[in-house]
Amino acid sequence: MHIHAYEKIWLAFAIVLILLLLGSVTYGAVGPGVAMVADSEGQIDATALDEDERFAEPRVEQVGENHYAAYVVAYQFGFEPDPIVVPANSRVTLHVTSRDVIHGFEVVGTNANTMVVPGEVSEITVEVGEPQEYGLLCNEYCGAGHHAMEGKLHVVPREEFESSDGGESA
Amino acid sequence: MSRTETAGAPVDDAGGDEEFDPVGTLALIAVYFAILVIAWVYIYYIEFLGRDLVVVG
Repeated sequence: MHIHAYEKIWLAFAIVLILLLLGSVTYGAVGPGVAMVADSEGQIDATALDEDERFAEPRVEQVGENHYAAYVVAYQFGFEPDPIVVPANSRVTLHVTSRDVIHGFEVVGTNANTMVVPGEVSEITVEVGEPQEYGLLCNEYCGAGHHAMEGKLHVVPREEFESSDGGESA
Repeated sequence: MSRTETAGAPVDDAGGDEEFDPVGTLALIAVYFAILVIAWVYIYYIEFLGRDLVVVG
């Protein structure tokens, strides 16, 4: 089969492009460690969150050296706890569930973004940096007050975290 | 009656199409390629990985 020289060139371009796309996704997974929202968490009873040891009292607690877990409940129309207070320069695992309908959980302007489904626990782990205030919002239409459903994620200096409620429950 | 390049080309001449060099098409594909590469680098490395709170687990 005869292939024109130019056609060989643009076939090579196409292959390079595919390798570039696959290569950068691989780099993202291996280098910065980008992960997906896993389905590793089991199901829970959305109507009985007050009987669940993690979500009866939504909070932030220390689970390891420099590793914190935030248990967050989304509801019509807000997030609990609000604000979510975490210490700076730490690793935070967010466990988010809903007690009514499907919500979204998005830390505005960041990659921390997941759906929140009643009966399921969405788990995402992020590394927070310097003290900062992030906004939180629901990005799945959840009812008449959806547009007003928001919260805050406060990344505070470690000393401030230790002396706050978040520190006490650790 | 109009004649196209294809119609005028010898059918069984293997080297015949070398005379038909679509440099415009090649240039266009090169430009598309550059746009795709630049867009991908911007979207993935700058806009996505450059943002805060990358999900790592």
